[in-house]
Amino acid sequence: MNEVAVPASDAVASVVHLHHEETVMGTVVTLDVYGGSGLTSGSFEPYLKQALASLHESDRIFSLWKSDSLMSRYRRQEINLETACELVEVLEACEAARDLSEGWFDPWALPGGVDPTGYVKGWAAQRALNELLGAPLHGAIVNAAGDIASFGFPAPGAMFEIGIVNPSTPNEMAATATLVGCVATSGVYERGQHLIDPFSGARCSRLASASVMGPDLGLADALATALAVAGADFLAVIEELSEFEAFAISFEEARHWTSRFPLTSLAASA
Amino acid sequence: MRSATGPLVNYYFGELAVAVKLSGSKITSVTIASLNDGGNFRSQSIDSMSIPILEQEAMAAQSARIQGVSGASYTSAGFIQSLQGALATLGL
Repeated sequence: MNEVAVPASDAVASVVHLHHEETVMGTVVTLDVYGGSGLTSGSFEPYLKQALASLHESDRIFSLWKSDSLMSRYRRQEINLETACELVEVLEACEAARDLSEGWFDPWALPGGVDPTGYVKGWAAQRALNELLGAPLHGAIVNAAGDIASFGFPAPGAMFEIGIVNPSTPNEMAATATLVGCVATSGVYERGQHLIDPFSGARCSRLASASVMGPDLGLADALATALAVAGADFLAVIEELSEFEAFAISFEEARHWTSRFPLTSLAASA
Repeated sequence: MRSATGPLVNYYFGELAVAVKLSGSKITSVTIASLNDGGNFRSQSIDSMSIPILEQEAMAAQSARIQGVSGASYTSAGFIQSLQGALATLGL
């Protein structure tokens, strides 16, 4: 093996970045992987295939708009849980998320029967990311339409950094933060749209944007939904969870965050 | 550039239809083409419900030090059903 002294700037330039976009789960999921010069699209292909297969499998199992998915059949009470281990895993995780969120995330309180969609998108992205753990990479990001799972780093000595969309001007960022694990953002760009208050059954959102960062994207996704519905007071609940941090933007454009949320910049509110 | 509008489907609060634009096989825009929510929210801009994926992608691409953008996206079953219909029309 030849060894060549490489100046630092060239070392940075030798980082290889591969990008893939997949239309799945009714949205676009992007995969970004970073590695040394040995990383090629050919060498990465087997891992990419596994990750994409995982996303499509999650979609097939949990789609509520596909009437023959296991989840749809379970909702119609055509199958029981013993025949579907993925349903058991997700529904148990949803129960745990319901407890952790003090009831503010509750898939059993939605119209039309149990609907784990608020957990599944994050869970599916996390599951796809896990398929990449064995690949020779510096790091990887799976971004399911704004809910992001990651491991590792983009280059030696660097950390992943993410932007958080400004809900009043969605083509601008409200803040940037170091990405530690995963981040999910929930909310509505208009008052009162698609979230449901599990305690009243009414459509309700008390924050324009609620981001939760932590070690697992399914749980972060569920907690972000809970925060958006419960409002800024719920930040105190997340503050007590040692593994999770949160950042919220009110409809009045006030920014609130937990004490260890790894902010790196904050845009002035309009 | 090709585009299609999906079927009008029920969602939690009414009916909506999704329009999608493609460049090649790549989605370049997803918007709410029509929305009937009983009048409660009709006066508000429905453009703001557009999935901000593309803006997010563009932002991430423009900023060398950002590797991802996190934001809320509208992914109710009704929205997705209409989107799937629009994509099927386009052979995707």
